[in-house]
Amino acid sequence: MNRPAGSLFAAQHRLAPYLFVTPFVVLFCTFGLYPLIKSVVLSFYITSGPRSQVFVWFDNFRFLLGDPDFHKAVWNTFVFAVFSVFLQLPLSLGLALLLNRKNLRGRNVFRLCFFSPRLVGMVFVGVLFSVIFAAPYGLLNVGLHGLFGASLERAWLQDPHLVMPALVLTALWMYVGFNMIYFLAALQNVDRTLYEAATVDGANAWQQFWHVTLPGIKPVAVFVVVLSTIGSFQLFELPYLMLGNNAGPDDAGLTVVMYLYQNGFVTGDLGYASTIGWTLAAMVLVLALAQMYLSGTWKKEP
Amino acid sequence: MDSPPSTTPGASTWETVKEAFPFGLAPFLILCLTIVSGLYLLAATVWGPSRAGGDLSMWTFARQHYVAYEKARPAFEKAHGVKLDLQNVHGDAVTRRLRAAYWAGLDLPDAVEVEISPAGSFFRGPVNDILFADLSGLLTRPDPTDPQRRPLIDRIVKTRLSPYTHRGRIYGLPHDVHPVMLAYRADLFEKLGIDPNELRTWDDFVRVGRRITIPEKRYLLNLDKSGSSCAEILLFQRTEPDSPAGYFDADGELILDNEQAVDLLTWYVPLLVGPKRIAASPGMFGQTFVKATQDGYTLCSFCPDWKTWGFQHDMPQMSGKMKLMPLPAVRPGGRRTSTWGGTMLGITRNSPDKEIAWKLARHMYMDPNDLGNRFRELNILPPFKDAWSHPAFHERRPYWSNQQLGTEYIRLAEQVPAQFGSPFLELAKSKLGAVLASCLADYDPSRPERLEPMVRRRLAQAAADIRKQMRRNPF
Repeated sequence: MNRPAGSLFAAQHRLAPYLFVTPFVVLFCTFGLYPLIKSVVLSFYITSGPRSQVFVWFDNFRFLLGDPDFHKAVWNTFVFAVFSVFLQLPLSLGLALLLNRKNLRGRNVFRLCFFSPRLVGMVFVGVLFSVIFAAPYGLLNVGLHGLFGASLERAWLQDPHLVMPALVLTALWMYVGFNMIYFLAALQNVDRTLYEAATVDGANAWQQFWHVTLPGIKPVAVFVVVLSTIGSFQLFELPYLMLGNNAGPDDAGLTVVMYLYQNGFVTGDLGYASTIGWTLAAMVLVLALAQMYLSGTWKKEP
Repeated sequence: MDSPPSTTPGASTWETVKEAFPFGLAPFLILCLTIVSGLYLLAATVWGPSRAGGDLSMWTFARQHYVAYEKARPAFEKAHGVKLDLQNVHGDAVTRRLRAAYWAGLDLPDAVEVEISPAGSFFRGPVNDILFADLSGLLTRPDPTDPQRRPLIDRIVKTRLSPYTHRGRIYGLPHDVHPVMLAYRADLFEKLGIDPNELRTWDDFVRVGRRITIPEKRYLLNLDKSGSSCAEILLFQRTEPDSPAGYFDADGELILDNEQAVDLLTWYVPLLVGPKRIAASPGMFGQTFVKATQDGYTLCSFCPDWKTWGFQHDMPQMSGKMKLMPLPAVRPGGRRTSTWGGTMLGITRNSPDKEIAWKLARHMYMDPNDLGNRFRELNILPPFKDAWSHPAFHERRPYWSNQQLGTEYIRLAEQVPAQFGSPFLELAKSKLGAVLASCLADYDPSRPERLEPMVRRRLAQAAADIRKQMRRNPF
């Protein structure tokens, strides 16, 4: 058999990398880039159906600013994000610190237990907690009644004041263990000699945590905070599953993404939904940048 | 520069390929697979059949409907010499898939069932751009299959066309009537000495409720606290010829903040909060609802025809203990029913053969024998009145303490109030639910005089928000 021609080999050698990246590029452009560009264009239209589009300039954005439902969605999402960052993450870090102790017996079992909620699907969690929160027979009410004699009729998912605590509790159950894994990995990478030096210098446990542990895990902590914030602002499945399409009593569980979904896929106005989407993207970007700035990500080491 | 690799004389094909393609066998296979599958998809799109499994396609969103239509399918296929592709698509997915397929210019079913709430969202936009074909002509023309050539529109419960009528055009054939009755625990009623025949008005009902309610243990009525389901049942019931009640009137104008709605919520809230309460909210479906009914925690529930199947299916052990009664009227001699839910069958605008799609709609929705047999299985009363004489509608049902289920619902069918479709219907439902939930949360039973102004203010605000959205609609 003859050798392949030299020019064919050279051409193949030159083109092969492009051939390999072509499927990704084609798919990304079709399903990633094109929809992104299209959604920017759509945000300047009011739409209904394939041919019905009316160009409205910035009217969608102007309407959004005065839209009370959007304001409510932003507020709900913000509250959820605040709880995610200020309640969930300290708990995750606390658990990680606890399970990082070498003298803790059965710590691998505990790690698995705390992480396992993340292994089950969101649908499962939504359904499970809907039953737990149900009045008057839900596990939570029955437990509180047994322990403190509280009313069995506390309607967690039917009372606008209790919906957000219920969502936060559910998210807490699901994500505390997941974020704990990040912190655990970070803790195990902190240089042990720093602790030894701190001990020699007479630092107590709190001082070691503040001056050694926290700086040591800072890159991961910033990553988890940013990720949690973005995740919270993208909250959709949990309230959708637990409260239904109408976002619970008095829209108490309405999040920005739910509102986007309602407008795009229930009302059928993809233009307004795109406007909400891009506003959300801008909000998340600003928040992430602010968090990174405040945490000193861009500060140069002296 | 590297020299090209050599090929050993007599080497196998794979070895030749490996040498000619310098990145190894695995990437070569990946590349081959990508090219072959890409070409296949391209060819399938360009030259493949445009329809998956038949000459005609139909989507439904309810498993029970699907099973019933599967049974009716062979007769239709035989009669018309076509193959029907019947699909059961999840309720939430059906509207999304329909919309996405329509917008993307992909294949649509010829006929599709859509639930009453999202149906209105398809009526948005210019008339020529609405997904569904206008059925007005087909419904109003003389029907050649009827000995008296009566148009179909005169043989269907008229109010059931209203949710699917928009700007004077009828876009859907109604699947059902869905009159609402009260399902009650007949055994406990007897034990407590309650005569259902004496509960003629809601005033009578509330009076009895206050007598038998034991807080946290027993309530007379199951009422929704957060959604709009129960509120809208009671709101529709208040419809009068000169005073519409509901979300929208026949002209598509929002009426959510009218006096009927204010009166209703002012009456509704104290039923659930405070010392005069007679109702609880264990939910309208699911395990808690079942347990609440079985335990006698709530004695009565709103029960349209479709929900009777749920009772039978979810709590068979309650057989012989349940009974149905008409809703108490708002005022003496008033309407004894309302309506909850519904389904339409629409024929899509792009259907290549609308005539055969219409025949399919008639076959599935207007064959008296099929409808009778279907009622035996699903308990859903069809709006096609010619079918009501079928014996199945008048059989006694042991589960319902030997009541004639169909007869009971048929008696109320003509009283079912009209509800009107709108692209903003789901928004209006959501707002009614929100107003109800916020009033329930903020109601102070020690200051009952503050309730009515609060309801009025919040309904007005909700209506203003909806009108603002409606004004934005440029179509």
